[in-house]
Amino acid sequence: ENMIGIRRFIQPLLGFHTSAVQCAEPMKKKKKMDPSIIRHREQRKMKRIERSIRKLERVERPLKPLDETQIPLSLKYEIPIRQRQLQPISQDIELSQRELLVAWSHHKQKEAERDLACIRKLLDAQGKALKELKLESEELYIEATQLDLSLLPYKAVGPTRTPQIKGYDPPDGDYIDVSRKWE
Amino acid sequence: ETEIKLANNTNKKIRGMALPRTCINLSRLTSTSDKICMRLSSFASTQTAKEKWDLLSAVCLERKPVIARNLLPIEKEVLSMAQKMEYRLSLKSDHEIQLEKDRERQERIKQGDADDSDMDQASLNSAQDFEDASVEELSKFPFADRITEADKEKDQKSLDRMLDRHLLLVVRQKLGTSSVWILPQGQRQEGETMRQAAERVLAESFDGKVQSRFLGNAPCGFYKYKYPKHIREQDGNSIGAKVFFFKAHVTSDSPLKKGSCIEDFAWLGRDELDSYLPEKYRKSVTEFLIDED
Repeated sequence: ENMIGIRRFIQPLLGFHTSAVQCAEPMKKKKKMDPSIIRHREQRKMKRIERSIRKLERVERPLKPLDETQIPLSLKYEIPIRQRQLQPISQDIELSQRELLVAWSHHKQKEAERDLACIRKLLDAQGKALKELKLESEELYIEATQLDLSLLPYKAVGPTRTPQIKGYDPPDGDYIDVSRKWE
Repeated sequence: ETEIKLANNTNKKIRGMALPRTCINLSRLTSTSDKICMRLSSFASTQTAKEKWDLLSAVCLERKPVIARNLLPIEKEVLSMAQKMEYRLSLKSDHEIQLEKDRERQERIKQGDADDSDMDQASLNSAQDFEDASVEELSKFPFADRITEADKEKDQKSLDRMLDRHLLLVVRQKLGTSSVWILPQGQRQEGETMRQAAERVLAESFDGKVQSRFLGNAPCGFYKYKYPKHIREQDGNSIGAKVFFFKAHVTSDSPLKKGSCIEDFAWLGRDELDSYLPEKYRKSVTEFLIDED
């Protein structure tokens, strides 16, 4: 009698269990949005993005620096069209070219030797002058060996093929460089 | 260690006493205190025996070349060879492609195989026309002459002469009793550095400011000369002058007006220095001038 009573008590208890501790509440039911409102919101987002694109396009696109320019890819496919069909150089001409290059290398070597000799001569002359100045007066020597910072940065415009035309008025006007300088 | 300064104004080459060797000899004979005394006395004697030289600053004012020199024959040959090689290795430009197309179109029109598109294209300006117009514009452009009027007139006061070479400023100054052609020089005054003296000399030699750029505080060359005997022998006078040269570039091309300190001036090329400057002086000056062939 007691066993039957316990069974009646245990059986429902066998089905009893607890879940793990969640520390949360169950999900709230998702409310269905009105599709027209959803569409409206998407449209507004698109409009905002398009407006910003148009603003950026309106501003002058900064030019790419020359260092970053690349050869246009279209030229790669045009190479066969652009190649020259020339006769190969004759033996005589090739020989004369090689002789000319040898003569040129000799000429440039002599030129380099002359330049170095000239520089050495100038430095020697300056050395002598400084030595004599030191013998005369230490003070003046020290002042002569001071750095002249006004010399740097030194800018020189190189010799051209023809001299400047006096009073030349360029038909296209003068070129004034307004590029930004980052110092 | 003090250097025993010898009178180096004689032509004989006096081999300077090798100071270390004499010191060693003396050290064997004397004690330390005697050595110090001897050293101090030698110092004193060099000071009193030191000759008095006037310190002068001179200006080496140059006009640098404005145009490039003409090519040497070998340079011309190599240039033409390089251009031919460049042509061989290059690809055709857009202009050349256009020229070819135009030529083919002309052929087709002559043969009578022309389409409507060909006739349309032919009416536009051809590439050959553009090339001809460009060549004509270049030939008509008035480049300035490399040989200027000053060259033809041999005007030695003008800065427009010999544009492919250096021009050096030479002045005629009165030194003592005679006038000589030299680089502008003047004595250094109290409280000046040598470079400041050079700048002052240049300013005093000419009326108005001479636009120039001095290259640094150090002198580039040196020259010394002795005064005539009767001046040397007078008490309190210096034996001679030591000239320190300072290099400068002239930056403006407006002509100079001579001042009161000089009698005359000229802008000379390297070849012309022979006939103007005294021989020894010229040798010292060419030591610090850039060589020109």
